[in-house]
Amino acid sequence: MKEEASNKSRRNFLKSFGVTVGAAGVVSSFSLLSAAKAAAKEPGETVNLLTADGQLVQVDKNQLRPTVNEPLDELQQRGREGIAGKSFVMVIDLSKCRNARKCMSACQNHHQLRADQHHINVLQMQDADHTAPYFMPKPCQHCDNPPCTKVCPVDATFKRQDGIVLIDNERCIGCRFCIAACPYSARIFQWTEPKDAEKYKDLTYNIEANVPQKKGTVSKCLFSADRLREDKLPSCVSACPNGVYYFGDRNEDAVTNGTSGETVRFSKLIEENAGYTLMEELGTKPRVYYLPPKNRAFEFNGDLLNEENLH
Amino acid sequence: MKNAIKIIASLFLIVVFTTTVVKAEDWAVPNSSKKKQNPYEASTKNISSGKKIYNINCKSCHGDATMGNMLPLQPVAPSDLGSQAFLVQSDGEIYYKINKGRAAMPTFEKTLSDEAKWMVVTYLRSFDKNKKASKQVAEIKNPEVTDVKLVLDINQEDKKVAANLTGLTKKGDRVALQGIELSIKVKRSFGYLDVSGDDAFTDDKGNVEINFPADLPGDREGHVNLLVKVTDDAYYGELAVDRIATLGVPTDPVNPLDERAMWGTRANAPIWIIVSYAGGVIGIWGIIFLVLFQLIQLPKLAKNKE
Repeated sequence: MKEEASNKSRRNFLKSFGVTVGAAGVVSSFSLLSAAKAAAKEPGETVNLLTADGQLVQVDKNQLRPTVNEPLDELQQRGREGIAGKSFVMVIDLSKCRNARKCMSACQNHHQLRADQHHINVLQMQDADHTAPYFMPKPCQHCDNPPCTKVCPVDATFKRQDGIVLIDNERCIGCRFCIAACPYSARIFQWTEPKDAEKYKDLTYNIEANVPQKKGTVSKCLFSADRLREDKLPSCVSACPNGVYYFGDRNEDAVTNGTSGETVRFSKLIEENAGYTLMEELGTKPRVYYLPPKNRAFEFNGDLLNEENLH
Repeated sequence: MKNAIKIIASLFLIVVFTTTVVKAEDWAVPNSSKKKQNPYEASTKNISSGKKIYNINCKSCHGDATMGNMLPLQPVAPSDLGSQAFLVQSDGEIYYKINKGRAAMPTFEKTLSDEAKWMVVTYLRSFDKNKKASKQVAEIKNPEVTDVKLVLDINQEDKKVAANLTGLTKKGDRVALQGIELSIKVKRSFGYLDVSGDDAFTDDKGNVEINFPADLPGDREGHVNLLVKVTDDAYYGELAVDRIATLGVPTDPVNPLDERAMWGTRANAPIWIIVSYAGGVIGIWGIIFLVLFQLIQLPKLAKNKE
């Protein structure tokens, strides 16, 4: 009796199983058929696209998919971690700067900044009444003891293992404590809707380039951390036409000139040219080194309105 | 007929005027500078070092000499410095122009040493068909060879890098190639650091030996990426050997995030700051709650007394 019952239930199970599978098969084949019909139905809707090898092709509009951006959290995570084993430094040779301002425009292009916003700025300097004036590019100093990260209440600005000080605009609440703390005035605040905000609104935020910029947050020089990941020099360094910038890895004791591509020993360069850092008395330990404006390649007498000084 | 004469006359005038305009735009070099002589001889060594300096300082705008691949700058493109039209100038004139610069051409008065500038002049002069110095040809006695081989011998203990350059003659003998400059470079993040020194020319046995800098950092195990190549591709094409060698100083990269510091984020803030901050918060809230608790207790106390 018991056996019979169990047999019955097994039979029932098999019966219902068969019906379900069959029904599923029918349904799926119908859906496949309808999908195929739909694809065949509208061949008229095509768009012209240019392939990578320069051929113009027609593609069905139904088959277009948006390109897959790297997900935000992945970018955030690798941006926080930094590049292991590196220790980036910059050397700026003041004797070669002639205010070409190519570094500034390259930087503004890269980081989607307006012409009046500076991650790097070329300043006209005169240290005292009777000293010689000179031009001085001033990016973020990427201090080893940064005052800005100390004051951030939300962990938005931080230092990573390769020495770069970054800011996460997704976390930034716009309190501007860091702007007040920075002795080098390296940070800017996005008071208004950033440049091309509409154009870049679908772009995934990249913490290593601070793009797209966000209204109501702080932005700063990042040594073009996204380019460093591809072993490229920062935008300003490669844009300079006068060989002002050297950039490299202190762990390797080598820096490369962005203009000539010449690689030299970092320690020798600093030692032989009496390199210094800005406001070292504050104990901020900057990573940007300056070579004094001795034997300047380009004349500058402090008078910018005089045409002879515009190079 | 009269018309034809008029046209010819006006054409003549136009030609005269335009040439004077062009002449006025010419780069006037003082006579004293024109007469300056290049104090350095056109040896292979000087030409090669001139080429190095040229590649670093001039190539980015002027392109390769004689190749005409300069930057298409506006309004005036840089001239091809290897062209005969340029090389009709005297050494002194070229030297003066490198020194002073004009418009987009920067001055190299302070950025290059006198010797370096003369080396560049020497290098450019080597393209001059009229003055092609016979010295340079006479100096190299290497026979025509095929199958050029560059062999590296690295002594890791004494930090010496030796290279040997040989080629196969038509008769089938392997001979040493003499007087060829080699570049010994170390790969760094953004370029190659040249460690070959001033005198990396092959001797009569085809050998070059250099002392690797004793204080150059390598990776954790002291490995460095070494690249040895014939400096001038014009001789035997691009000939290079790369090798990973234990020549560097073993360097452990310091991770600044390993230590707790004031500038750290929450994850690596100093213990004392976490303790004192947390203590402060807990203490203050504790007192507030204590006061509140006692306030709540007040009515009870009053009742008890009654």
